[in-house]
Formats: sequence, C-alpha cells, structure tokens
Amino acid sequence: MKKKIENVRNIGISAHIDSGKTTLTERVLFYTQRIHAIHEVRGKDGVGATMDSMELERERGITIQSAATYCSWKDYTINIIDTPGHVDFTIEVERALRVLDGAVLILCSVGGVQSQSITVNRQMTRYKVPRIAFINKCDRTGANPYRVAQQIRDKLGLNAVMLQLPIGLESDLKGVVDLITMKAIYFEGDQGETIREAEIPADLLSEAEAKREELLDAASMFSDELMEAALEGTPTEEMIRAAIRKGTLSLDLAPVLVGSAYKNKGIQTLLDAVLHYLPAPNDVENTALDLNDNEKEIVLNTDPAAPLVSLAFKLEDGRYGQLTYVRTYQGSVIKGDTIVNSRNGKKVKVGRLCRMHADQMEDIDGAGPGDIVALFGIDCASGDTFTASEISVSMSSMHVPAPVISLSILPVDNKSQGNMSKALNRFTKEDPTFKTFVDPETNETIISGMGELHLDVYVERMKREYKAEVQVGQPRVAYRETITQRAEFNYTHRKQSGGSGQYGRVAGYLEPMEEGVFEFVDKIVGGAIPREFISSCDKGFQKSLEKGNLAGAPVTGVRAVITDGAAHAVDSSDIAFQLAAIGAFKEGYMKASPVLMEPIMKVAVEGPTEFQGAVMGSLNQRRGIIVGTMEESNYTVVEAEIPLAEMFGYSTVLRSLTQGKAEFTMEFSAYKPVPKNIAEGVIKAYQTEKSKK
Amino acid sequence: MLKEELVKKNPLRVLHPAQGDACPDYRMGLVIARAGLGKTAILVQIALDSIMRGQKVLHVSIGQSLEKAKAWYDDIFRHLVEGQSSEKVVALDEDVLRSRMIMTFKESSFSRPKLEERLNDLVYQNIFRPDCVVVDGLDFTAADRDSLLDLRELMVAMNVQVWFSALSHRDDTRVSTDGIPAPCHEVGDLFDTVILLQAEQQGIRLEIIKDTTGCASPEVALMLDPSTMMVKAV
Repeated sequence: MKKKIENVRNIGISAHIDSGKTTLTERVLFYTQRIHAIHEVRGKDGVGATMDSMELERERGITIQSAATYCSWKDYTINIIDTPGHVDFTIEVERALRVLDGAVLILCSVGGVQSQSITVNRQMTRYKVPRIAFINKCDRTGANPYRVAQQIRDKLGLNAVMLQLPIGLESDLKGVVDLITMKAIYFEGDQGETIREAEIPADLLSEAEAKREELLDAASMFSDELMEAALEGTPTEEMIRAAIRKGTLSLDLAPVLVGSAYKNKGIQTLLDAVLHYLPAPNDVENTALDLNDNEKEIVLNTDPAAPLVSLAFKLEDGRYGQLTYVRTYQGSVIKGDTIVNSRNGKKVKVGRLCRMHADQMEDIDGAGPGDIVALFGIDCASGDTFTASEISVSMSSMHVPAPVISLSILPVDNKSQGNMSKALNRFTKEDPTFKTFVDPETNETIISGMGELHLDVYVERMKREYKAEVQVGQPRVAYRETITQRAEFNYTHRKQSGGSGQYGRVAGYLEPMEEGVFEFVDKIVGGAIPREFISSCDKGFQKSLEKGNLAGAPVTGVRAVITDGAAHAVDSSDIAFQLAAIGAFKEGYMKASPVLMEPIMKVAVEGPTEFQGAVMGSLNQRRGIIVGTMEESNYTVVEAEIPLAEMFGYSTVLRSLTQGKAEFTMEFSAYKPVPKNIAEGVIKAYQTEKSKK
Repeated sequence: MLKEELVKKNPLRVLHPAQGDACPDYRMGLVIARAGLGKTAILVQIALDSIMRGQKVLHVSIGQSLEKAKAWYDDIFRHLVEGQSSEKVVALDEDVLRSRMIMTFKESSFSRPKLEERLNDLVYQNIFRPDCVVVDGLDFTAADRDSLLDLRELMVAMNVQVWFSALSHRDDTRVSTDGIPAPCHEVGDLFDTVILLQAEQQGIRLEIIKDTTGCASPEVALMLDPSTMMVKAV
C-alpha cells in the first residue's frame, strides 16, 4: 500500500530501564493489529514480548538491541524503533535517534525522571528530535504524574504541557481526561481495545478546566489565531492541535500524556498524539555531504523520484543472512535496483526488501522517502550511506565515542575459535563502539567497548548465538599518553648494509595541543627535506602515536612540527624518512614530559536518600570528585567524576551498600592525567611485561 | 600564581581584604535583591573568590537543578579567567571542581536538620569539609527567625561562613531601621554583612548596607555588569 509521506511517522521509544517501554510497544503492536496477543516482558507464558527478540533479552527482561518494526494506525504508517535503556548501549540509542523524526519519552509515574532519561533527553536534544512524553505506570502505588510533569520541566528543561489528566490513580486508574476535547476517555474490553468517550467526572471538572487553561496558555505562544480564539473563548480542537504541533516540532513544547501500558490505558490516545504532534519525514530537514563538492552540505528532498539517499543504521544477523536496516531520506529504493555504497563505491543489487515486524518480516517491492526497511544479503557496515549511482553523497558521520574499556578473550577450543571470529566480525559491523583486535605482542584477542556491561553482553551473545566459549581476562582501561611541554628533536637515521643505504634527518619540535588530536605541520623552507618525503615523515609520526613509550598506550594531543632536515641523493627513501621520524618522535617525546591519561567517567548514582552518605563514601573512595547531589522528595542523585579504572565491580558494591535500591549510570566524560603514584604502577607493570617478552 | 592574581584584582576584595586574617572565620552574609538582578551571580562570585583563596565551598541551591548551578559556575569562571593562558585555566578549572560541591534541594525538603545531616555525611567521612557555604534560593517569606538562628548556630559551630540570597518584592515596602528590606527586615540583625542590589540607569549597583565584621569597605562603589553579570569597581 503506497502511503503519502505526510502519513508516515518514524518514532523512537526511549526511556529509563524498567519504565515499561517494551510493555508499551507490545500494546501498540496489539492495537495496530501487528500481533494478536499480548505477551509480557517477564510474562508467565514464557513467550516474552515481541520486541525483545534476542533470547538473552528475554531472560534478563531488558531490551538490548533496538528492533525496528512497522505498524499502521488510522491510515498512517508508524515505524517504531524500540531503543535500549542502559547507558552502556547508548550508541544504539544515538543511532536510532539519528534516523528517527520524533520520539516518545516514557517516564515512570513513580520513579519520575531518572538519570537515564536525562541522558536520553540530552541525546534527543543533540539530534533535534521533537518529543512527546508518556507518563506510564499510573496504576502503580505512589503514582504521581503531576510531579513527573514538573520534573520534566525542572530536570529535562522541557516546556512540558499536560494534554491529559488521569481519572483516578494507582489501583483506581480508570481512564484519562482529554484536555483538548474536554471528554473523559475510558478503555474497556479485556485488553482495553474499546474506547468509550463520556463526560468528565464532576469531581475532576474544575481541575480539568484549570489544566486546559494552562494548556491553552502554552499552546497560544505558537499560534496568534489560537491566542485570539482563546481570548474570545472559541478555540477549536484543530487550532489547539495545530499550535501544539508547531511548538513540538520546533522543540519548544513537550506534550505530556498519561496512562498505564500494563493496564491497557492511554495507548490509543498516545498513538493519536504521535500522529498529531510528531513530525512526518518531510517536516524535518535532513542534510548529506556532497562528496563531489568538497563535502559541502546539501539539503535532501523528500521527492520519491529524486536520486536515492539512504542510511544503513543497523545490521542484524538473521536466520537468512545479514539484514541491513535502512532509512531512506531522499528518493526511493526499488527491488532489483542497483545502489552504491558511498563509503567504498561498491555497487549492490537490491534483491529482497522487507518491512520488519520485530523478528517477522513482510516482503515489499519498494520504499519511498522516510521509510525504514530492511535489505537482505548486503555486505556493509553500520552507518554506511547507500545512494543512486548518479550521485555521490554521504550522510554526515555519526558521533561515535571511542571505547574506554577492553578485555582479552581466549577461545577454549578450536571450534569456539572459529565461531568467535564469526561473532566478532558480526558485532563489529553492527556496533561501531565495539572494537576488536589481536594484540601483536601477546597474541591475545582484545575486545573493547563502552563499559563492563557492554562487553559482558557480547561475551554472552558469543556463547549463546555462536556457541563460542571464551575465557575472559581482567577488564583493562584504555589509557592514553600525551605530552605536557614543548621539546625539540633532531634525529638522523643512517643505515649502511651494502648496496644502497638509508639516510634521513628530521629536526623540529613536539608541542602539546588539545586532547584527542594529532597535527603534523611542515615548516621546512628551502627543501631541506625533499617534498616527496614530507608525507613519509607524517607517516612515521603517525606510527609512533600508536604506542607511547610510557605504557604502550596511544599518544594523542601532540603537534609535530618539522623545521629542518637533510636528505641524501641516493640513500634517502620513503622508509628512511619514516624511520627518521619515528626516531625523532622518540627523542622528542621523552623530553616533552609525557604523562599517562585515563578515561574519567561521569557517574550518576540514584537511590533512596537514606543511603546518600554511604553512596558518597563509596564514590569518594574511588578517587572520585563528587560534583554535587540532587535531593528529590525521597531519593537523591549523586553526581561524580570518577576514573573508569576505579569503577570495575562497582555495581556489586553499590548493590550491597544500598540493599539493591540504588542504581548508577556512567558515561565517558574526558581523558585526564593519572595521578603520579598510580601512573608509576601502570608504567612499571607495562615495562615489566615488555621486558619479559 | 594565577589564583593570587585573580584574588588580588577581584573587586570583591571590598568584602574581604586579601590579608583577611583579621576577619572572623564565620560570617553570615546576605545578598538581597528583586528578581533577575543577579543574586546567584554574586553568590557564585563570592564562592569562586573563596575557592581562589584556598577555601572549599558548598553551594546549596534550593529549587534549582544541579545543571543550572554548574552552568553558573562555568559561566562566571569563564569570565573570571578571560585572557589567561589555556594551560593555566585547565589546571585551575580542575582545582575549582575539587574545591566545590553543589547540593540541590526541593523548596519543600530543605531544612536545617537536613543540611546538617548532609554536612555531617561529608565531614565525618572526610569527603568534603567546606569553609564557606552559599545558600541560594531560600524562601525568606517562609523562613522564621528560629530556623535562621538555628542555621547561624550550625555555621558558627562548624566555623564556616555562609552567604544567603533573598528575594525582595517591589510591592512590599517594609524596611528595618538599618535599611534591610522585606522579607528580611525582621531578621537583619542575624546577618553580619548585607549587600543590596539595585537597578539603576547605568547598571546594577551593589550597596553594602550593613557590615559588623569590620572587614568590608562599604564606601567603595561596585556595579554588576549586566552583560557578563560580573562585579566591577566604578
């Protein structure tokens, strides 16, 4: 069925872990008739929710990988990406946000805005994703959606406006009041599928009127027409909706809805809100980089007849080979077409095109702008751009954080060895924050990623999905090295071993610059080093950066400037100058007061206030700086900056300290110098290991 | 080095001379102004000045988020070190982070026992021992004399100085005999130093309307630059 682009919604569902997003998605799929029975996340029937398609997710009751799914509601197409909640998998969240046009932020009416929601909200702001909030679990004891709405304003900084009021709370939750139509809505039938509209209960009427006033005040800011009509007392539903939509699309307003997915209340009205307030693909401006015009930014247009531009945002190893999830931004992709991967110029033929419903699929012939579909049997990596052959553009690169932790893994037998490489090959393609390499010195396979849990999950997946049993080493922090002062070098590489020798002299200086970058500057005048060997010097320096002299960690934050040198008419060569630069770097590096740097994590621990002292004590013991504490009514968030090296095993410590009532999230903040006494230990351990070999 | 330079040229020296040994360790100060005149900016500058003088500061923010308080520090710090070399600034920034802690409370949940409990958590575990506490956002219309006395006693016992901000209202014209406007007119005697912010044609004027410590120099004219919210001598 061909859909108009105005009738397409690509939405993400993001939230704190355990806010019930999988439960909610399950209801959405049920009401949109994509599934015929509702299964709970930890349901007694043992089937698990439809979106949790991986066995491991079902077992842990969490969603690890976002599954894309398609459904339709009232003549609209909705593509839903169910996103993971744990911060260790934020690349999944970020990638999903990149391809979505709007999002539903689910919040628990008891827990409120928790640390993960703050992270996700920040990511949504970064990718300019308009959002609506759904305050879930209004049936739970202690539910207070008004407090949560206030928290959305205070903690997330969003202009939250309630579009609904709950009728009853906790076990008395009966339905919602729609403040636009001023009707009570009840969800009846075994699974809430029958909607009954009625008059607002008398005891709620004055509150509903007051809240409607607030809503009109907020919405009027986006529509003069509504403002005038509101003053005259004649605003229409269409006017209000149009104003709310305008405010939402410009990220100046966040409509708030309430309900309980578990009790089947408020889901259909949430779906209506998705259609009313979240953008269609043509409401959003997307850009790509023109590879033929110096990567100039160009605006994509949503004409189905325009040349195709699409982004492969997720790979999955399905039963029938690699599945590539693709979002089209411009033009159409048709079965049988030849499309080009703009990263490597490879042409691929679109063999099979599917619409995904969790782990079932539906074959289709083509997809237009704004669609999210899956392609079969295409070899590519996450983040690749596919285009029509007549254009050469690339979607702007996605923000990929560098891994901060690594582990060595060793297969237990030959069979596992083979399976392990298959698994690693797949995971690195799926997840750009997951990296793997073989340490040339120890011959160990090293995996690295964004946190302990991140790597744990991949080790588990290796075992379950690929039958690869591996022994896991101690987690190791990804240290870096940098220099702290300027130092000169003047190095001559000379080798004479019969035949033509090697000769190159490189002189100049190293100086510190901002963390994470390297710059090579050529300030040679008068051709002291012939032009053709300048790039050899650069190569030599780049090689030196791979392993610093202190602890074998990569070196960053260095500017290498060459000012002089010498060459020999016969003996100078590319390799001679590379080796000269390596020697020069070594000479300058140790004089430039190198230091070891470690990843510092921003850690947020959230738990009942009574444990605040214990939590702060535990953070303080970990070389942490406590940045601050935020005290809410009955719980507190402690925010700290702590070296990753000190965070190993913290979840266990925190659990026992707080009777399991507190939880923490962490994300990479910055690289900072390791204190001297600790750096000495790390350096010594490296040197001892090195001398053993 | 940079710290000393910043301390020396800080116009807030009128509150606390560089050789401050003669000043008492505890002092209860108040910054009072109408909404939007820069109370938080002044408190943050007082806090940063204390940090530059080697003290540790606890910033208590009532009714505002941690992010907002952090943003204030980042902003004021940036203005403070404008024109300094980036290497020195990075080191100083780290120092500031270690010397400052922010606590935020909901309006409804802030009380002296709660603050004392939190302070004890920090002090007994040797996590952080503040020399100066700034309390931003306390609702003086709801704070009675006893609770303020309580807070003063706590600060004296802990030997820390404390600065409060108070919001005054245009339509409440009550003033104490020593010129302290409502809502603090009845508790003005509890404060050692009181600064009043007033909007004028040229900017926002800081007036030291009371000082019993003998440290301040009320005769020096200070203004708040509305574009940067930084205090400057005129």
